[in-house]
Amino acid sequence: MLDICGTVREAQSSGSWIAYKQAARKIRDGYNEEKIKFGNVVRAAFLGSFTIEPLIDYIVVEGASENVYIDAYLGGYDQYNQEILNPESGLYRFSPEITLLMVEPESIFTDNKTAPGPMAVEEASGRIIRLVDFFKKNSKGTIFLSTFPADPSWPLHPIDGEREIMVKDVNIRVRDIFSKDTNVRIFDLDRLAAYFGYRNALSPQMMHMARMPFSEGFLALLARAYTSHLKAYKGMTRKCLVLDCDNTLWGGVVGEDGIDEIKLGPDFPGREYIDLQKALLELFDQGVILAVNSRNNFEDTLKVFRDHPHMLLKEKHFASIQINWNDKPSNMIKIAEEINIGLDSMVFLDDSPTERDLMRRALPEVITMELPSNPDYFTRTLRESGHFGKFFLLDEDRKRSQDYASQRQRTELRKSSISMEDFLRGLDMTVTVRSAQLKDVHRIAQLFQRTNQFNLTTRRYTESEIKDMIESEKRRIYTLQVKDKYGDSGMVGVSIVEVSEEAWKIDSFLMSCRVIGRQIEYVLVDRILKDAEKNGIDRVDAGYIKTKKNALAERFWESNGFRSAGRDGDMLKWQVDTVSVKFRAFPYLRIVEE
Amino acid sequence: MGNTQNFDERLQYLFKEAFGVDRVDDTTSVDNVDDWDSMGHVALILALEREFGISISPIDAVDLTSIKKIRSYLGRKE
Repeated sequence: MLDICGTVREAQSSGSWIAYKQAARKIRDGYNEEKIKFGNVVRAAFLGSFTIEPLIDYIVVEGASENVYIDAYLGGYDQYNQEILNPESGLYRFSPEITLLMVEPESIFTDNKTAPGPMAVEEASGRIIRLVDFFKKNSKGTIFLSTFPADPSWPLHPIDGEREIMVKDVNIRVRDIFSKDTNVRIFDLDRLAAYFGYRNALSPQMMHMARMPFSEGFLALLARAYTSHLKAYKGMTRKCLVLDCDNTLWGGVVGEDGIDEIKLGPDFPGREYIDLQKALLELFDQGVILAVNSRNNFEDTLKVFRDHPHMLLKEKHFASIQINWNDKPSNMIKIAEEINIGLDSMVFLDDSPTERDLMRRALPEVITMELPSNPDYFTRTLRESGHFGKFFLLDEDRKRSQDYASQRQRTELRKSSISMEDFLRGLDMTVTVRSAQLKDVHRIAQLFQRTNQFNLTTRRYTESEIKDMIESEKRRIYTLQVKDKYGDSGMVGVSIVEVSEEAWKIDSFLMSCRVIGRQIEYVLVDRILKDAEKNGIDRVDAGYIKTKKNALAERFWESNGFRSAGRDGDMLKWQVDTVSVKFRAFPYLRIVEE
Repeated sequence: MGNTQNFDERLQYLFKEAFGVDRVDDTTSVDNVDDWDSMGHVALILALEREFGISISPIDAVDLTSIKKIRSYLGRKE
């Protein structure tokens, strides 16, 4: 096997197109000759109004650095209309999973006679909306729709100013129309170019020589952004961020300098850490689970969280706190066990190169972030990493991190309870089971992407597949939500059942592992079996497909009275006769059926 | 002549990086390097600009289609 890490790093540190071009060639050859293995292969199409090749070179390399091979289809130069409008085009024959459509304003504002204004905005957005609609009719894939770059240019130049406002208006319209569309994701090129700085993002030289508007520096950022979008779309982002303390969350060493001397507060130095903590709180609000992994005196360090006047992060934000003198990889394993997530869901943030190196070698599954030596830039590095990227925020995202942090209180309750029954009664749980509605699509897709341990068949359905199934008569999708006295966990379980006259078949059954062991999983099975019986169905089929991660669910069907019924490929088949089912009582749960 | 020596080494490195060409000589040109296509040419011009700290005008850029031409162009620029 060929190691491409060196090639990728060389290209990244050079940043030049020529280096990316060469690296991309090695990656393509290595993949085609089966000398490089990738964790993921994505069929991705690229349509643009300009020469797209340079961007692909950058994207192939940045993808490879995330262990993804981008199997790219390139639309011809400025052929995006033909590619989309012709149902027989190369684009549709390629059947891409993701198609990036990136068009310059010049290409869509073709009619120079129309004066800038609402009419022109209407016309231009109409053109792009029709294209996307046509694409959706002909492809099952998802479209990444780029916003138009609203190049601001020099002030005191009124014509450009009008044009910029018009382009921005089109962007707003297009974004509004597609923001809730399950087949479309907005790729906000305008925002990204503004973030990078338009004057540096666009290169007149490149435009003239290669008919491609972007500078080499911006191409690199653009490719990284594309990879981040891809990761967010494929659910390849991470769940948990684990933090060091000294010189990461504050300046200085609390055990030596003391709580009054550490750098944290409105003055410099100290503001840079406030900045980072704000960014971490934002991540917490977006559903990222936070934990602490620090080699320190427990009492000294906890005192900072409790008593320091400028500390924004508090104990209540953390799902696990490991502060001791053990090595950090051991602490990391403890954190993973306590939160009950995989190491491959975790990111580690530590200012010390030595600790980072140790973590990388001991636990390569954990992403240990490379940080600049200057803490002023920690926040930016964290944001641009793309490990926690999201297209939109769901209610469950806001609840999740809170819920994981409450989990520590549940663990306390469990320890202080004299029996399991006592614990369950103490939780005061309410469980709601109801059929999926269209508004649930995002959350259901997220559960399908993220759930590994208590997932009976680990089928990874996309949003459009789920949407089709909700609308289909042949499927029932059940969802389960739970809350207890410590908080609302939101939707944590889902099951897809194929219904027919003879028998029902449980195609998928999965539940967030943070609620497993509280009898909730049985509520959902009971409901399905009861509904089957009510509908005069005699038999319900189910399956279990073993993966590296779902041993937890191996005996689940058996424990619900199903009997083994042979196998079908990878799948162990189970079935139960509805007449023989003994329904359970759930004395500790309040069950709401909708 | 020290400069010429230096040019050759840097050009050698550039061509290796750009097109995976192990040895360049006087005959190396657009006609005999596989990856030296129109896109490769743009990437090469950008790389030459950076490597030698120069700015290449569009008219010169289209003409730099062989090692000989590049070498004599760089010689004139020095």
